[in-house]
Amino acid sequence: MDTTIKSKKKPTFLVKLIIFIFLLIVLDFGIGNLLKYLYFKQDSGSLYRTTYALDSTRADILIFGSSTANHHYIPDLFEKAFHLPCYNTGRDGNTLLYSYAILKGVFKRYSPKIIILDINEQEFITNQDSYDRVTSLLPYYENHPEVRDIVKLKSPFENIKLLSKIYPYNSLIFTICVGNADFNKERITIKDQNGYVPLQNTWKGPVTTDTVFKKYPLDSTKINIFESFVKECIQRNIYLYICLSPKFKVEKYVDSSIEIVKHISKEFNVPFFNYSTDTFFLHHGDLFHDVNHLNGNGANIYSELVIRKILQKQ
Amino acid sequence: MAYYLVPVKFRNYFLIAVSAFFYIYAGPVYFLLLAGLILSNYLIGLKLDLSVEEKARKGYLVLGISINLGTLIFFKYWNFLGANLVKLLSVFHLGFNFPYSDILLPLGLSYYIFQFIGYLVDIYWKHEKAERDFPRFSLFILFFPKILVGPIERAGNLLPQLAKNIYFENDNIVEGGKRIAWGLFKKLVVADRIAMYQTAVMSTLDQQSGITILFATLLYSFQVYADFSGYTDIAIGVARLFGYNLIENFKRPFLAKNMGDFWRRWHISLSSWVNDYVFTPIAFKKRSWGILGVFYSLTLSFLIIGFWHGSTWNYLLFGLLQAVALMYEYATRKFRKKLARSVPTVIYNNLSILIMFLYVSFCLIIFRTDSFSSAGSIIKAIYTHPGGLFYDTPSTLFFILIGCMIMMLYDIQKESKIFRFNLFSNKNWIVQQVSYALLLIYIMLAGVFDGGQFIYLAF
Repeated sequence: MDTTIKSKKKPTFLVKLIIFIFLLIVLDFGIGNLLKYLYFKQDSGSLYRTTYALDSTRADILIFGSSTANHHYIPDLFEKAFHLPCYNTGRDGNTLLYSYAILKGVFKRYSPKIIILDINEQEFITNQDSYDRVTSLLPYYENHPEVRDIVKLKSPFENIKLLSKIYPYNSLIFTICVGNADFNKERITIKDQNGYVPLQNTWKGPVTTDTVFKKYPLDSTKINIFESFVKECIQRNIYLYICLSPKFKVEKYVDSSIEIVKHISKEFNVPFFNYSTDTFFLHHGDLFHDVNHLNGNGANIYSELVIRKILQKQ
Repeated sequence: MAYYLVPVKFRNYFLIAVSAFFYIYAGPVYFLLLAGLILSNYLIGLKLDLSVEEKARKGYLVLGISINLGTLIFFKYWNFLGANLVKLLSVFHLGFNFPYSDILLPLGLSYYIFQFIGYLVDIYWKHEKAERDFPRFSLFILFFPKILVGPIERAGNLLPQLAKNIYFENDNIVEGGKRIAWGLFKKLVVADRIAMYQTAVMSTLDQQSGITILFATLLYSFQVYADFSGYTDIAIGVARLFGYNLIENFKRPFLAKNMGDFWRRWHISLSSWVNDYVFTPIAFKKRSWGILGVFYSLTLSFLIIGFWHGSTWNYLLFGLLQAVALMYEYATRKFRKKLARSVPTVIYNNLSILIMFLYVSFCLIIFRTDSFSSAGSIIKAIYTHPGGLFYDTPSTLFFILIGCMIMMLYDIQKESKIFRFNLFSNKNWIVQQVSYALLLIYIMLAGVFDGGQFIYLAF
């Protein structure tokens, strides 16, 4: 009887390494595609609003910008005043780079009649953060060639990072899950009115003076993007209005970016409405959610003011 | 890979070149400073080793320590000393223009200065022989994986390894890779995620509730641990890829049951350095003072540890708080032993761990701020600001808590083996591979890679 035991041959280092890399690729591909499916299956929430703005909206009035755009302009009021459908594409924490990418996506499909671009102080400041924020466009990189140039501004390695299927959905797993859950649709904080999300708080602090010196290194790329935004709207005969929202603070210094916005809008004959120094709002802290954002009541009053101003201009 | 393609006898030269490039890239002038220090310490080490007369040996040691400490003081503490001198003289209405320096702190200065001093003292004590081979000595200091955050290497550990020929070994690649993966997890998933929350909360302290500030304060302890030990894991892992074992710097510090235990687990290369070269010699010298000698040595040692971290009074106070806790422990050791016997071990141990964690978190409030008043305002705000917990979106909390939980479970498992089934050191290589693949996938899912993830501030 043969008593020798056949020993199991252990795989070599190279074989193990290949298996490990294969495992990583399979997991990345599988989980990445699952996240992609769930991401685009959402029909509410902040992520969905970007998808809707890029892929679906055909509204004649579009509002662009960051959180101040998203929380300050009530589409229902614009619809009533102009008898045209309106959608608010503003997104928290994003900048002009995001707005321009969305504009490109919209222009691929149609031309709206009126565009309101809400800009911020320090819009053209040189900092990496604003480029990093275009992370919110990563899920669209694959199927929306028009956003790629903006995404590539983030870093020269973005192409390599995007080889991973998971990377575009980095840090989004919980938001995507919540976006797909039924209870999400009931949540007041997520619920939007044609993109607009009202803020609830009432600011109780006093008016402060912003003493931050507003001369800073300017980013020519951002200035060029702003100029392109304006030019492309004019080329398509769109009524473009540039706005600076009210703040509950007094600015001690003139902001360099705002000076450039004034200059460019004057050059292209585009109306620029500056409400940042509006004394009415400076006397009504109850209209603010925090020093930079209006609450629902404030947004109501502000939207009406902007509508009146546009009607005067037209 | 390039390293292993280089012929064995040239591999150290290759590492010297890579390390030198790293320093030169960071600042060519600082590389010249480092090169000068390497040369002077090499020569002083040789002289110290070859000298027979005690007086000459002591002279070389004093010269070496003076050069190293002088460099450290000039680059790191000059402005601090100047500002305080000016303040002190102004009390006596004596004003003068102190020549403040605007030179940046050279990369890794505090780490390599301590390494130089340790090397010279070891030779003086005849624990080590001076390194004759200049390239090997240069690599002992320059070795790039440890430059940013240590560990502070010892001659006895690294120099013998550098003397050996290093050959490609699968184990080095696998173990190094595993260590890097854990380091990336700690840094990108835990530390950087908490850092976002910290920035959001601390930049708006006036508007945050006490519970939020308390939560941020407790999280800061995890952030510092994950950040520092994460970087160290990456350094140790990278060194292992090249075939070298750097000394361990962290051993599950948040499972420490007392302050002494904590400092045997936290920044071990610094605490053991101070223990060997400061505490023990002074405590021995002052042994006739009894308990006061111990207290004196402890205070001095921890003031050095505190001051090593930075040139502000806060770091000194941080060190002092550690010393106070250790003195308390030393004075009450008999009472605490009795107490431990009268309380069930599980309760006593866990309570000790909790108290330690809270005390360390409190000390880190001092550590993180740049003035006593800002530390005071954080502590005051914890008690006085009303309101609920700020967390932006639920996912912010989920990511932070899951990250901390995985990190702590890994530590607890290593410490006490509470789970029978071990994922990351399972004997079955497939289980291990799947575990590490999932770890990397989780890093991709939850890691903070840039400013793309942020906490939106709207109160």
